[in-house]
Amino acid sequence: MLASAGISGTIGRAFLLVGFIGAIFGAFAAVAGARRNDQQIIRLIPRFATLIFAAAVGAFAAMEYAMITRDFSLAYVQKVGSWSTPALYNFAAVWSALEGSILMWVLILAGYTMAVAIWVRKRMQDVIATWALGVMFIVCAFFFLVSYFPADPFALGPPGVLDGPGPNPLLQNHILVMFHPPILYLGYVGVTVPFAFAIAALITGRVGEGWLVATRRWSLFAWGFLTFGIALGSWWSYEVLGWSGVWAWDPVENASLLPWITGTAYIHSVLVQERRGMLRVWNISLLVATFSLTILGTFLTRSGVLNSVHAFSESGIGAWFLAMFAVVLVVSVGLIGWRGDKLRSPGVIDSPLSREAAFLANNVLFAIFAFVVLLGTVFPLIIEALQDRQIAVGAPFFNKLSMPIGLALLTLMAIAPVLPWRKASTETLRDRLFWPAWCGVAALVASLLLGSYGVAPLLTFTLGGVASGAALRQVVLATRRQGLRGLVGRANGGMIVHLGVILIAVSLGASNSFSKSQELSLVANVEAQFSGHTFELRDVVEVRDDRSISVKALVLVDGKKIYAPAITKYTRIGMNVGTPSVRTSLTTDIYLTLEPPVRQDSNEARIKVFIKPMIMWLWIGTALMAIGTVLAAFPGRRRKPTEPTSAPVEVAKS
Amino acid sequence: MKTRRSIWLAMFLLVGVLLVFGASRSGGPLTQQDRIDAITLNLACPTCSGESIYVSRAPASESIRSEVARQVASGLRTDDEIVSYIEQRFGGQVLLVPRASGVDSLVWALPVAALIFSAFLLFTAFSKWRTNKPTSPTLEDEQIVAQALKNQAESESK
Repeated sequence: MLASAGISGTIGRAFLLVGFIGAIFGAFAAVAGARRNDQQIIRLIPRFATLIFAAAVGAFAAMEYAMITRDFSLAYVQKVGSWSTPALYNFAAVWSALEGSILMWVLILAGYTMAVAIWVRKRMQDVIATWALGVMFIVCAFFFLVSYFPADPFALGPPGVLDGPGPNPLLQNHILVMFHPPILYLGYVGVTVPFAFAIAALITGRVGEGWLVATRRWSLFAWGFLTFGIALGSWWSYEVLGWSGVWAWDPVENASLLPWITGTAYIHSVLVQERRGMLRVWNISLLVATFSLTILGTFLTRSGVLNSVHAFSESGIGAWFLAMFAVVLVVSVGLIGWRGDKLRSPGVIDSPLSREAAFLANNVLFAIFAFVVLLGTVFPLIIEALQDRQIAVGAPFFNKLSMPIGLALLTLMAIAPVLPWRKASTETLRDRLFWPAWCGVAALVASLLLGSYGVAPLLTFTLGGVASGAALRQVVLATRRQGLRGLVGRANGGMIVHLGVILIAVSLGASNSFSKSQELSLVANVEAQFSGHTFELRDVVEVRDDRSISVKALVLVDGKKIYAPAITKYTRIGMNVGTPSVRTSLTTDIYLTLEPPVRQDSNEARIKVFIKPMIMWLWIGTALMAIGTVLAAFPGRRRKPTEPTSAPVEVAKS
Repeated sequence: MKTRRSIWLAMFLLVGVLLVFGASRSGGPLTQQDRIDAITLNLACPTCSGESIYVSRAPASESIRSEVARQVASGLRTDDEIVSYIEQRFGGQVLLVPRASGVDSLVWALPVAALIFSAFLLFTAFSKWRTNKPTSPTLEDEQIVAQALKNQAESESK
């Protein structure tokens, strides 16, 4: 095996170089082909896309090969590889640090480029698509270059290294390391596609609605994966970090949330453009913001200017990403300014009480939300630059400000789905909101009966009730008219997504407000009580393997089942990682962590118990969001574009 | 119609009363653990920026957490006093929430300013839209419509 030392490094670098050159050629071909509308050149483009995808796969495979064969000639393998890492975590170790995660970005971006090239070949022989591919090739070239120079995963390390520490312990003790990063990246990188089409629309001047409709599913695909990736990250945090929370507002989390916020704003406001032809500049700006926030987020979190649990070691990529961010911004703003006259739309919003006005309000709220998250994330940098003084902006700030925004969004979710386009009378509203409002009352009464208190959570539950009533109303009406087809299409699928969001909001409201916790000093075989549950320490045991020593406290909960919160010391890294143990049910989670210091030969242990209501509904809500997104991607029944907006949708023959 | 309106009124009243009732009741007295959690949520972990002592499992956070627990258990200081005590004893940047004074207050003021600014923008947009007469379609627009109608007629005649 040692005979192969160095080979995968050389091969990998060769692949990266091929990918870079392929992307440059692809970009030239696309731009030249689009400008001259030369079909002969355009026909070459898919080949370049295939070439760069093959190169990216080759580079990634070379990295995996190096990791699996433990090729310690590479600095990256020295950093995150180890003979003692189990195969699965070793596979995931490739994306457990900066260089490898950029390599994964390259792979996914090249995959998207090829997918778009194939899709374009089938669907439309159109210059807008050629320009879009050109943009994608340029972005690809940038990432190949970053991977080749400042974030080179194939750089040689000092000779003579025979074993390494393995990945960060947090990245080798839970199976989600296999899923959260790739799925999140599918979303994060996927926003490049609608961005590329937006730029292409600006370049060609065809800023009408065609490109929007065409890229609708790409946007939805990226948004869905971003949502799902973030949710998986929350689940992971809950399962391993040991503070019983799902979201810490750390800078890397914020970096993934920011494009999600602007992306969510986009998939709402794009409906106004499709329907009324308005908000063109705004929609393009949202796509630009979404894409550039992925670049800015990568700069903030990967350059070492901010640190967090997710942050990998410092490196020289900061300047590259900052430059890319500046280029993206300057080019986009310049193009929007240049096409300003074409982007101006003739429509007007007739009434503040209309579907389009509600979407506008939604966008204002999401824009403020994005502003708050960005401000809080970069504020320490601003203060450091201005006054050379360190401050921290953390969870309390974000929680305080996101609560009113969340409540306002819930209010919109309660009202907007029943609003018609153009104009609504208070009469219609009164009529259509009648049953949803009673759902809200029911939710309020139920939560009071269950013992809830406090204005914010009660408002959350009430508004959640109204909003779910409004969403269900739409789905019920649609299925009554169209049968099962009433579940697909974006209006109906979107309402299912809403139901998921409401479940998540209610669950967060309940678990943030009504959790209880207590540290218990348990002595073996003596029962302790907290919040109506009993906890009894049965034993403290030690488990060793060749990478770690874990101490587990076996705790009998309510006299029924034994749970084993643990602290694991990863011996090669010298880092302790806690592993909570959770009793889950639909109503309440009991979350146990073992608190340091621990001794395995003792008959005592300090256990922290968290009693958290409704956590399960976070994951159910996430699943509903995923299902709703898939349903929304199917074509729904659409009105003919030539019919007036008030024309009824055809009734299915049953 | 009249009854519906009174039902709505009754519903608003009911919700109001229930909310006031719900707001006035509380979840029982704070335990020592609740105080510890509340204090540590607002303290920054010294070795990992952006995380609270409550969240962080770093050794430095452990020691501050146990110091807070000791202070709460002794019952001599209020929450605020414990925070300033920790600030004195451990030094450096301890607070996770920016203060509402000096330049730091910008982080609180700017979101509010953004809200007011966007409300103002919305207001002016709507008042502009209200006074605007609908624009007449340009020649180009009419051509597009005519083309679309023609295409549709063709596809339907097929």
